[in-house]
Order: sequence, then C-alpha cells, then structure tokens
Amino acid sequence: MSTETMKFDALILGGGIAGLQAALDLADQDFKVAIVEKDASIGGKMIRLSKVFPTLDCASCITTPKMAAAAHHENVKIFTYCDLESLEGTGGKLTASVRQKPRFVDEDKCIGCRQCEYNCPVMVSDPEQGGFSARKAIYIPFSNAIPQTALMDVENCTLCGKCSKVCPTEAVDYFQEPRIFTIEAKTAVMTTGFELTPLENKVQYGEGKIPNVITSLEMERLLAPHGPYNRVLRPSDGMEPDSVAFIQCAGSRDKSMGISYCSRVCCMYAIKQAMLLSGALPLADIAIYYMDIRAFGKGYEQFFQNAMAMGIAFIKGKVARIDAGEGGAVRLHYEAQGEDGGVRTADHDLVVLSLGMVPAWNPAGTCTVSTGDDAFIKTIRPKVAPTLTDMEGVFVAGAAAGPKDIVDTIVEAGAAAMEASKYLASLARTVKAAA
Amino acid sequence: MNGMGSGKEGLKEAMKRLRKERKEMIAAAAAKVKAQNKAVRAIMEQLREGPRTVPEIADASGIPTDQVLWYLASLKKYGKVLEGEKDGSYFRYQAAGAEEEQAAG
Repeated sequence: MSTETMKFDALILGGGIAGLQAALDLADQDFKVAIVEKDASIGGKMIRLSKVFPTLDCASCITTPKMAAAAHHENVKIFTYCDLESLEGTGGKLTASVRQKPRFVDEDKCIGCRQCEYNCPVMVSDPEQGGFSARKAIYIPFSNAIPQTALMDVENCTLCGKCSKVCPTEAVDYFQEPRIFTIEAKTAVMTTGFELTPLENKVQYGEGKIPNVITSLEMERLLAPHGPYNRVLRPSDGMEPDSVAFIQCAGSRDKSMGISYCSRVCCMYAIKQAMLLSGALPLADIAIYYMDIRAFGKGYEQFFQNAMAMGIAFIKGKVARIDAGEGGAVRLHYEAQGEDGGVRTADHDLVVLSLGMVPAWNPAGTCTVSTGDDAFIKTIRPKVAPTLTDMEGVFVAGAAAGPKDIVDTIVEAGAAAMEASKYLASLARTVKAAA
Repeated sequence: MNGMGSGKEGLKEAMKRLRKERKEMIAAAAAKVKAQNKAVRAIMEQLREGPRTVPEIADASGIPTDQVLWYLASLKKYGKVLEGEKDGSYFRYQAAGAEEEQAAG
C-alpha cells in the first residue's frame, strides 16, 4: 500500500459547487489546491439538478464550466472517490490522511468510451436517476461526470470478463486495491454539503413506501434533460400525471423529525419545479401545499408571483398524512388553513416531498472541527466572519455550515477562499519575519 | 496491477482466487442477471408484436407495472427500445429497429 505524501497550499473537502468555487478562487491567486471528493465525479448536488431558480438556467450548463475549469486548472489537483480518514494539525501545518476507493479501472488508461458499460450484462438500479432506471455493474457515473472514468460495482459484478475484453485501452483492473495517501496543506476549506432529510424518518408520509411519492431530488431527475424517462412520468406505471402536488416543509421545521430549522431552499425549488412542470405538462393541475412561502432572495418574490400568475395553485395547509389512493393515486389529508379550516382530502397522481437539508458529513472522529446544535459545522463568528470554524486555518462554506441556496453558497465559497488566502499570506509574513 | 502475478497463467490463477473470494456476490449477481434476462425477453416479445404501453405489457407478461417501466427506461437508455406515440395518458414503446424492419418487410 502506498503512503505517498503530496503538498499543497490549500485542501478543499468536497467538490460540489462550493468546493469548486473556493478552489478556483484560490488557484487563480496562484495557490496550489487539492480537492478531495467522496463521489466518483465532482459537481456535487448542483450538477444533478435540472434548472436553477430564479433564473431558470440549465444547472448542468452552468456547473459543467466550473467543473471543467477546476479539472483543467494547472494549480488544482482533484482526487475523486476518496474518504477523508483524518485531518490533524494547526499553525499552517495540516495533515490529511485520504483513502481512495478502488474503481477497478485504471484512471490514467480509461478514455471514457463506455464500451465496458454497453457490454456489461448486469443492470443495477441507478441511484443517480432516483433508481427509476438502470446503470450497469461497470459504468460512467453520469453523462457529464468529471472525470469521465468508469468504475466497477463489485457487488453486482459476475466477473464474466466482458468489460476487460472490450476495453480498448486495457483499463479494467479487477485487482485494484484502495490507495492511502497523505495530503499536507497549510489551510483547508470544508465544503461537504448536504443530503436531503431521510424519507424513512416520517411515518405519516409513508416512510418512502407509498408509490408515486417521490423526493424533490428525484423530481429534479424527472425534469432533467438526461433523466430516467426523458419526460415526467409516474414511476408506478408510466402514466403522464394529470395532477402533481408538492408538500412543503416535509422534513424541515418539524420537531418530530428533530429538524426544527427552515431549510431555506425548498419553497423556491418547489416553485421552480412547479413552473418547469407546467411547461412539460401544460394540461396538468399543479398544487403546492405550504405553511408560508419564504422568497427572500434577489428576484425570488417576483418568481413566486410569476408562478401564481401561471396558474399554479398555492394551498395553505400542512399535510398531516399521506396514503396510497386508488389506481396509483396518492391521497393527502390536510387542514385547509386558507379556506374554512376544515380537514380535507385530495388525490394526486404524483406527489413530491419538498425535503429539507441535513449535513452530508459529520467531522467527529476525523478532525476537531465542532458542529452546532443543528449538526452543521459550527461557525465561531457567524455574524462578522461566517466562514471561520473552531480549528485554526480551517474554513467552511456552503451547505456544510447550514442550509443555503446556490447563490449564497457561491458567495460564501468566495469569502472562505478570501479567508484562506489571508491566512496563507499571514503565514508567509510570519516565516519572513522569523528569517 | 496488484496481486496479479506475471503472465497469462498468473492472471488465470489470480482470477480463480478472486472468483472464490467473491463467490457469494457473484452468485447473487448471476441470479439477478438471469431474472433480468427473463423479464427483458418477455417485454421484448410483447414489443415485437407492436407498440405497447406499460399496463399492456404488464397485463400480458405478469411483470408489475413499475418494473416494466424500469426495464423500458433502461432498455431505452441503452438503445434497445424507443418511445412511440402517446395513447391516452400512456406512451407506447417499440423495439428499436422495428420501424426499419417493417419498412423493409
């Protein structure tokens, strides 16, 4: 096993939009940057979205250039499919132990031609598409993944040898081992992002077992240009839905789930998805069940007003329970606060749970960075220097520090990069003064 | 390439060892492939008779509708199936190449 050591100025933990922005901002100032990413591709949640609010830009069209810029930057080195084992040190000397999981494909040899994927006989439910379609046991993560390098899922591999036979560059390596290496850096930025609140935690919403109740990120895939069906269909039987409902605060502002905070993006992404749906399914009825709409960002209120003008129904009322209805329908039970306050039921063909954000990573056991009561990374000066953690020289940006939309994430990533840059400059001054 | 030894014989031996190590995973994956191939055959058989909707394929093949859709989406992704005309609330699917066959026949 290799124990090589590589030296950089800055270490970025997580290659989503926050990490990419922080890396680019540092690399453009001639600092050497390493990005360590847990997935097989950089791009984070943003590259998996359909479009973004309130501009309705295509998410992959505006994320891919950042991914490519980082991948091609001479001062940036990207390590994908890696776990951070530990991060220690202080005073400008951080040491990270990193474990790169085996892809069973030689990264230097693979040319991303997908011959292995096309010829592999095993179909596996693709989590990148909400499980609505298959990938193969050897596969490229998704069409605009960076790097375009295949990886093998050994749990579903029959070792039939077809991929190795068809690979034009002999890149398949059934015997690849994990690679352990050390990164030494002077500063680090944590951009570890979020996951959606787990569906399984809410009994009243069916714990993920009711057909045609999907998560908001699954709806992003249904709306995306490279989605599982290339159009919006009901997963239970392929029907084009006539009526789609969104349930707001499904997993935020909900003490029963242990998540009392507002996730800040769900109102806007639901409005965005509703708008995209009314374009994709012009005849469908679209309703958003909400507690109150939080449209606080630049251009957000206007976006909400536009959605209302487009005929999207906004129904004030918290959905108490969801049941499976007749013929694949989903039945909602809710208290109609905007009307006479009565308890109502409504049937929809497809229901989207606007799930909130929880942190994707817990630093406990890996480094001494603390988390707050909400489990997001603790910021020690949340008002005047919001990217500072309680570990010297370690900064935080994006949803790692708390729920945040893309605009705020990018702004904060730039701020964290500036703090890291200032820290690097102060280290250089200290060295100079000592000399 | 670690643990591979040298030459063709070494590779053969190493593969043998790996097969033994992963015996259970391989058996599970092989059973999965077998079931998948059976389902795909049943679905393609339906499509060879003409464009079909998900519920029609499910009725004729006994495969649940959600699984039929999963297979169709996957077969479409890998170029074996095409989406056809809409019929009511459902789309019809057809085997890729079926159109040319009809035109040629």
